[in-house]
Amino acid sequence: MTKVRPIAAIAMLAIFAMAPLVITPVGAQQLSDRAKQIGGKFTCMCGCSQVLTECNHVGCSTSAAMLKELNQSLSRGNSEDAITQMFVQEFGTRVYAEPPKSGFSLVAWVLPSVYLFVGAGVVIFVIARWRRRPAQQVSLPGGAPGISPELLERARAQASRETQD
Amino acid sequence: MDVFGSFALVLAFVCAIYAFGGGIAAIITRHPLLIKSARQAGIATCCLIFLATLSLEYLFFSDNFSIAYVVSHSNRDLSTFYKIAALWSGQEGSLLFWSFLLSIYVFSVLLTYRNKNGELMPYVGVVMAGVQIFFLTLNNFVASPFKALASPGADGVMNYVARTDGNGLTPLLQYPEMVIHPPNLYSGYTGFTIPFAFALGALLARYPGEKWIHLTRKWTMIAWMFQSMGILLGAHWAYAVLGWGGYWGWDPVENASFLPWLTGTAFLHSVMMQEKRGMMKVWNVWLVFITFLLCILGTFLTRSGVVSSVHAFARSSIGAWFVGFLSLIILVCLGAYLKNRDYLKSENQLDSIVSRESSFLFNNLILLVACVAILSGTLFPVFSEWITGDRISVGAPFFNKVNIPIGLLLLFLTGVGPLLAWRKTSTESLKRNFGWPLAIGLVAGVIALLFGFRQIYSWICLILCVFVASTVGLEFYRGAKVIRARSGASFAASAVELTMRNTRRYGGYIVHVGMVFVFIGLAGAAFNRDLQKDMRQGDSMKIGPYTLVLQGFDTKPEKNYTAQRLLVEVLEDNKPTMMLYPEKRRFTTTEENGTMVAIHSTLQEDLYVVYAGTSPDTQLPVIHAYLNPLVKWIWFGGVVVVLGTLVALLPSRRAVLVLSGVQQPAAQPLAHGLAPSASMREGHD
Repeated sequence: MTKVRPIAAIAMLAIFAMAPLVITPVGAQQLSDRAKQIGGKFTCMCGCSQVLTECNHVGCSTSAAMLKELNQSLSRGNSEDAITQMFVQEFGTRVYAEPPKSGFSLVAWVLPSVYLFVGAGVVIFVIARWRRRPAQQVSLPGGAPGISPELLERARAQASRETQD
Repeated sequence: MDVFGSFALVLAFVCAIYAFGGGIAAIITRHPLLIKSARQAGIATCCLIFLATLSLEYLFFSDNFSIAYVVSHSNRDLSTFYKIAALWSGQEGSLLFWSFLLSIYVFSVLLTYRNKNGELMPYVGVVMAGVQIFFLTLNNFVASPFKALASPGADGVMNYVARTDGNGLTPLLQYPEMVIHPPNLYSGYTGFTIPFAFALGALLARYPGEKWIHLTRKWTMIAWMFQSMGILLGAHWAYAVLGWGGYWGWDPVENASFLPWLTGTAFLHSVMMQEKRGMMKVWNVWLVFITFLLCILGTFLTRSGVVSSVHAFARSSIGAWFVGFLSLIILVCLGAYLKNRDYLKSENQLDSIVSRESSFLFNNLILLVACVAILSGTLFPVFSEWITGDRISVGAPFFNKVNIPIGLLLLFLTGVGPLLAWRKTSTESLKRNFGWPLAIGLVAGVIALLFGFRQIYSWICLILCVFVASTVGLEFYRGAKVIRARSGASFAASAVELTMRNTRRYGGYIVHVGMVFVFIGLAGAAFNRDLQKDMRQGDSMKIGPYTLVLQGFDTKPEKNYTAQRLLVEVLEDNKPTMMLYPEKRRFTTTEENGTMVAIHSTLQEDLYVVYAGTSPDTQLPVIHAYLNPLVKWIWFGGVVVVLGTLVALLPSRRAVLVLSGVQQPAAQPLAHGLAPSASMREGHD
């Protein structure tokens, strides 16, 4: 039974770790307009680091021009891929709001899961090591012969410490 | 006054060097006079930094436009309120402000422990002085705020000049939150220097026991509280000023402030393992080191221009200094650890996997994974440029996808952790503690489904929020019931008594409730709606239950800017409810635009109205309206978090009673570094 618990814990962690790769962001489903939906995948190039459709700085002409370009491209019947290529050619890979899930950018997506697995492995290793460690000898209070007042006080302090919170 | 300020800074630098060098000499020689003089040099450093800061503020208030920093960040028409904030609005002033806040902490520590912990304090003093030397080096030689304004003359020689007026403060900073947000955030950043100094000092001194933990707990909590307040005030500023309808954009500078908060939170939890069970000593020391390193790293990211951010200071060469300082700290920490690692051996073993100890380990794991994931995402554009030559942006969608599951897991542990017993939790105890909260959470989930809740993350978040709130509520209920049965007091009075008997535990629970409120607010973001429309006078737009009617616009000249206001009447369910006045501001000196969002906030939702400019096609004013559910819960949750932290900082009532009852034994020192029980409790509470 004790072996099942770590496996179940790892399985749970794995599900949470993989979730970002497969679940669509909740915000994206809110956007009804296609231009807004596609625009949500790009960054405004005004330097604000915000998503294109969210950049609303007063006087930001960049986001307005980019959205106009996007609308025109959509009205010409261009696909999402073609629009992506157009923006990448114009602004470089900085235009992505999130790294593409291919090539070197895939590293960005994989890393959080790696951290979680490595971290979980370390925690499980630490727990296993602590479990193997022999129990500390703490003498029982009650005036047993041979127990020094210091040891007694130490045991009391430990009991107080461990039961307080 | 500028000469006075400059002189005070130079003198502070000299005193800090003495506090550092004298402190090292005192550690080696153990000479009482040296120890005292190093401490007094530390106090003098703080006083001199205080005087220098006061001088710069005086220069702002006296409109001294012969000083470059004052010219760049103030003007005659700037209100007094914002002249205070002008101090930290630029690189040079904010670095002085950093030194100033750090000096408040250092001053307090040096005075509080002047006659206590004699073996540890010289080490702590040296570490604090070391950090002060770094910042004073920047203040004096790299980014002095007292530089006189100079321009080259016809002969090429620089002449000192004075302007009749300054450039004014950046419009984005002319908002009330900007007067309180940076001091809070900086107080958090600088505050983590104290636990760092104690941890490193204790390691270097091989200071016995967990006393350094007891000594630094309150300082860590104070720093953590300020950091929390700073982050939330910053989020509120972004929400109310930037006008994009959100409060957190995963901007590199925002992330930089969040990283030490995550590790600081991990430390506040894992420290209990060391106090209670003598475990995780190495981990705790490194967690403090990492938290401090992240504070410096955050400052580096904000000031170096290595990552692009709307919040960052201008790109400058100051980053190299921070890289050097970071490297030095890492070397010192590593060296101290390798030399004294045997001092950090853990005492206890783990009795069961289902225990408080395990939950703390997983809590730390999740917090650290969140921290590292955010850090690597923030720095990924830099790394991708180094490796591939292409700078790939990592924006909010990435961070949301990665951090929402992590946040939910953390929320789950927030509910589970406190209800597990130390050492071992029996099956009976699990059933007793988790049965009701789990049932209540699931019922809430079913009700939410019936009401059409279909966003998976928000739905899970709601269940977990109800679960955590129930576990905390049940804890208060059970404890208060016992006190009520004994004392006959009312239930509310019993709950207060319960809290005051163990402020740390119940203050912590209040903080957890605050975090639940924050999560409720965050869950609301899944249901945000927005609408943008070009509006003629008399036109209307409908969003949710609200109808917005543009009644007109006016121009309001103010001292420092001219505001163009839209007069928007709001009808709720077709009944006139209120007027909102979103505005655009044109700042006269800088010729920059600012915005002032009009927000009607309720616990249910925020109606958020932005005057988004004039349409280039129709020449009509554009209104961008958002309906953001539950946002108010985030700010309310922040208040509860601060209140909970303040409660946890109070001494527990029981501790006072115990201390007064056992004065005699407490006064007798025990062998082998063992503290008497009364003083142990004092440290805990």
